[in-house]
Amino acid sequence: MGPDILHHPLNRADGSATLSSNLYSVLAAVNGPVEVQRRDELPEEAAVEVNIRPASGVGGPRERWLETVVAAVLRSLLLVHMHPRTLIQITLQITKAPSLTLKGAARDVAVLPSLINAAFLALADGGLPLRNTVAAVLLAVASTGEVREEPSEKELAGCKSVHGLAYDNHGDLLLSESAGSFDLVEWERIADQAEKACRAVMAPLNEDGVVTEGSTSSLPWLRQELTDKAQAAIAWREAT
Amino acid sequence: MANGTAKPTGLAFSRETFAKLTPAPFLQALLQQPDPIRPNGRSLDDFRTPTINTGSLSHSNGSAVVRFGDTAVVCGVRAEILLASNIPHPPSEDIYDNDVVERLGLLVPNLELSTGCSPDHLPGNPPSTLAQALSYRILSLLHTSNLIDPEDLRIHHGAPPTEDDLPDEGPKIVTKAYWTLYIDILCIALDGNPFDAAWAAVMSALQSTHLPKAWWDPDREMILCSPLAAEASKLRLRDLPVASTFAVFSTGSPLKQRREAESWVLADPDEFEEGVCTETVTAVVMSDGGDVGRIVRLEKSGGGAIGKAAMRRCVQMSQQRWREWQGVLNGG
Repeated sequence: MGPDILHHPLNRADGSATLSSNLYSVLAAVNGPVEVQRRDELPEEAAVEVNIRPASGVGGPRERWLETVVAAVLRSLLLVHMHPRTLIQITLQITKAPSLTLKGAARDVAVLPSLINAAFLALADGGLPLRNTVAAVLLAVASTGEVREEPSEKELAGCKSVHGLAYDNHGDLLLSESAGSFDLVEWERIADQAEKACRAVMAPLNEDGVVTEGSTSSLPWLRQELTDKAQAAIAWREAT
Repeated sequence: MANGTAKPTGLAFSRETFAKLTPAPFLQALLQQPDPIRPNGRSLDDFRTPTINTGSLSHSNGSAVVRFGDTAVVCGVRAEILLASNIPHPPSEDIYDNDVVERLGLLVPNLELSTGCSPDHLPGNPPSTLAQALSYRILSLLHTSNLIDPEDLRIHHGAPPTEDDLPDEGPKIVTKAYWTLYIDILCIALDGNPFDAAWAAVMSALQSTHLPKAWWDPDREMILCSPLAAEASKLRLRDLPVASTFAVFSTGSPLKQRREAESWVLADPDEFEEGVCTETVTAVVMSDGGDVGRIVRLEKSGGGAIGKAAMRRCVQMSQQRWREWQGVLNGG
């Protein structure tokens, strides 16, 4: 079971998507390639700008930090060399955040996977050339040592460490943000589990839409979404 | 040349010109040698040696200057009193202890890069995205690592027993005020790796912080502080986490085959290397009661060159680095 996804909710942006997981809802909009301000212009690549708006209030240092992390991941994903001297602008509006006040570590890391997934879907919707497919997951280690995938608010509030990881379709680790108290062995176990979860989300479907690879609980929702989109896009050709 | 003079031909670049014109191929040429050496003369795993000077600012409660290579950071801690009566929604007394520092915002770090420390950060400008992100990372790390015992920041008052109190109960202890620590970090010279330097400066400044003896005066209804240095108490830190940053230089590009990509992990990158590398890893390690293996924060973004094995090496180097820093932090 994956998050709720709505494609193209904004009709003026080049690409947009809403993604609602059990913790956060994010509305992502993408514009690009558009004209870039002189001081941000890069001679051989497109500049990537990420704007994050919190669920309430205006952005502060925390949003600036989240922006730098998300921008770094998206830069490694976009084929920036195809649009030199332009700008790819991504705006992420958080529309729902956990009502429970989470403690520092959990609050900082928990939102990242939702932001990455939403931004990726918006980029795909906008038709921007991408290098890879990416999926991000959130994992929490409970005080008992049990690892929870996509934890609930309560589990997150009482956990020992939180980990937000993103893998691409080649199995490369694109993002790893962990906070709390953990050791190397624990992190490696989490990285393995995260890789499995990310691969499961992108696992190929067979003709009946049934999972053929990996037998984890999570369905390949990302693959399904992208397949549906592609099929909708070529529907006109099939009709004629 | 034909007559054999030693003049360089017009086709050969000097080292500096090569580095300026094409920084990435220049770094790659150096790293591809059988015994890779970085432009600054360090080997791949070499960190710069830190020096610390504490207590250099006379008007702050604690201060430190940390320097490694051409990166130098000053940190000053100023303690101010937050009256409990001024808190709009005071936390209940039974709140889980460590939350108080975060809920009331008793630690306020702020990092300043607009000091003329590097040509990339113009002096007098408003805080750049990098400065804001660094400030927030420091704040978040201070909260995650639970360094400061909230008890140290409380100013108590034992209310005198009133007539309706039970006689065998001791005097009621009330928290009348809290110490708020303003941690100002100024980067005075920047040659890469501002986070490690800033974090080390915060650690040693907090370590050298002394809070004056403060008490509630019921007659004047205000907090009074003792001017005597002998009565001041030292701020205790539960641990001394150490941050280590690594940059990853990768030759991978979407125009090339994936398997052709090579990558190198550079410890403690300087300004030039940071300009060429997109991927960074930061590991923050602490002892947590003797066991050095604990990680408080592990951050990695910007590319896919670092996998599990490379991450393991980074963390192991950070743990080694932790031991080196303990000597410097405790000695200084």
